[in-house]
Amino acid sequence: MKITRKAGLGVTIGAAMLSFVSVAQAQQGSPILIGATVPMTGPLSLTGKQYQNSLSMAEEDINKAGGINGRHIKIVFEDTQASNGTAVNAFVKLAQETKPAFFFLSSYSTQNLATAPELSKVQVPAMYAGGADVVADKGNEWMFRIRPADSVSAEGMVKAAVDVIKAKKPGILYIQNDFGQGGAQTAAKRFEAAGIAVAGMEAYGQNDKDFSAQLLSLRNKGADAILIFNYPQDGALVLRQAKQLGFKMPLVTSSAALVPAATQLLSPSDLEGVWGVVDAFMDVSVGGRMKDYVERFKSKFGVDPDPYGLAYYDGAMLMADGMRKAGTDPKALREWLSSVKGWQGIGHVYSYDNKGNGVRDLAVVKAKPGTKTLELVQPVSLN
Amino acid sequence: MADFVQLIINGLAIGSVYALAAIGFVIVYSATGVVNFAAGQFVMFGTFAGVATLVNAQLPWPFAYGAALLIMALFGALFFVSVYLPLRRGSIVTIIIGTVAVSITMQNAALLSFGSWPFRLPSPVEDSAVSLGGAIISLHALAVVAVTAVMVAGLWLLFNRTSVGVGMRAVAQDVQAARLMGLKVNRLLAFSWILAAVLAGVAGLMLGPMWFADVNMGDPIALKAFAATIIGGFGSLPGAIVGGLFVGLSEVLGASYVSSAYKDLISFGIMIAFLLVRPQGVFGEKIQDRG
Repeated sequence: MKITRKAGLGVTIGAAMLSFVSVAQAQQGSPILIGATVPMTGPLSLTGKQYQNSLSMAEEDINKAGGINGRHIKIVFEDTQASNGTAVNAFVKLAQETKPAFFFLSSYSTQNLATAPELSKVQVPAMYAGGADVVADKGNEWMFRIRPADSVSAEGMVKAAVDVIKAKKPGILYIQNDFGQGGAQTAAKRFEAAGIAVAGMEAYGQNDKDFSAQLLSLRNKGADAILIFNYPQDGALVLRQAKQLGFKMPLVTSSAALVPAATQLLSPSDLEGVWGVVDAFMDVSVGGRMKDYVERFKSKFGVDPDPYGLAYYDGAMLMADGMRKAGTDPKALREWLSSVKGWQGIGHVYSYDNKGNGVRDLAVVKAKPGTKTLELVQPVSLN
Repeated sequence: MADFVQLIINGLAIGSVYALAAIGFVIVYSATGVVNFAAGQFVMFGTFAGVATLVNAQLPWPFAYGAALLIMALFGALFFVSVYLPLRRGSIVTIIIGTVAVSITMQNAALLSFGSWPFRLPSPVEDSAVSLGGAIISLHALAVVAVTAVMVAGLWLLFNRTSVGVGMRAVAQDVQAARLMGLKVNRLLAFSWILAAVLAGVAGLMLGPMWFADVNMGDPIALKAFAATIIGGFGSLPGAIVGGLFVGLSEVLGASYVSSAYKDLISFGIMIAFLLVRPQGVFGEKIQDRG
């Protein structure tokens, strides 16, 4: 068989192209799988949808920026609903079938606590956003918190009540679960330490819809301000009912009452006399990366972003940074995350302690008079 | 005293909604023998029918309410045709499990259609309040109590002064005898489901402005309506009303005067006490089997 010069050149170019393609494919490889267990249906999906959206946005941004040293990431979601059992099943399913290199767990402490033992067996690093201090206190070395712990939020709320509102006899209203009870107890201790007597503490159930008894009881006990540890929807309902009862005293809510899903239920008058301690002040006026994130999120998903979703976005970016620098080996990645100090996210500065707590900054906000637009009263850093 | 008045009105308002849900429960149970575990979701659908007509379509008040109740009536008919009729020849357990399955389907259908964010369903008397004995009472709460009273009076007239109502009572007592007497049993059964759905619609429209419209609101209502039905007497209309008001008042007064942390324990503790001591409830009749 006679091979002409032209044919030889073609074969050589073809072989070169083939080898280039195979090198590119090897670089690209299969995507790095990330597991995310978030509440996509049920009562907790109100906030869960935000995590799903913000993680999807982070996945897209990380891949657009070249992925992890040339490899794309792919986030696989499983629904935790509002059940600890479902959260564990979702985690186990991902761990066994998808075998991800990293996990994102939900922002509900009870689900985090239920899933933690399974995570210890799998030995893969995970980020979570549940606020209960007990999650970190368990000392699971694979878990990294991406939001302020509840004790940090409670401290922020106490600071707002003492420094900003000048409360002398505050009352406390809390949702009856790990988050609410933990936050209320921390706040009561902080008030006591500051020499301020708490007028009273009242609780409500997660499915409760009428808070008049608790609000009136606190007013009768002489409360001059009320701290409220709430989830989004019940938080909005408490604020509305306080207005309907003619309450004039200042109210200080935890972060959830001022997320967009909650404020869209309120009118500007419902927010008069309301202060909130939010994880991060999210407004385009902040400028820079915050402005970019808020605008892109809104145009992509049609709703305003909330600080919880932002924590997951920041967490994904931090994870990507870690994978680029330390690789995807679970232990190496865990060590890298443990050593993170002063990592600048959009919403927070991340510095991990030996319990896996990474965030100790918050913001006190208030609605501008006659509007539902939040303005920054003061940042709170508890470092 | 002002606080007491405030709590009583709030308790009556919330109890009225429980009563309407419980009446829907009782009507279906009396006529068909089915414990409708989707009753809470019927109320949720009523609220979202209001969201569709008032918030999304932005119809004027009377048309929006009328359209929402028409939607609920059609839904009741659809439920009768697509769930009750195919299952009625099965065992009672099959039908009950069927209503549980439909309940889950309804909740997820609402989630897919309306999303996870709650809605604020407006009230015609939004943000209006009156001062009563020093208490600030929302006009909506008073309206809820008044509307429930009108509905109950209407039901009394229906069941005691109209041929349809008397026929429904006859079917509830004995289907075979009613059929032999020439009553159109299927039509009356269908009307029972439609009536239950419309009552749930009224409850949903009144509840929306008080609780927000939320796809997960059905289960707590069903639980409270169930407790009201047990306390009042299973199958008794006056029992459903008294039971509903009792549960509403015990919730609010219990939270205020006993403990807010244990207010549900009070309602459900009383329900369990009734099951143990007087299972037929306040208005129920004792049924004994003779050997």
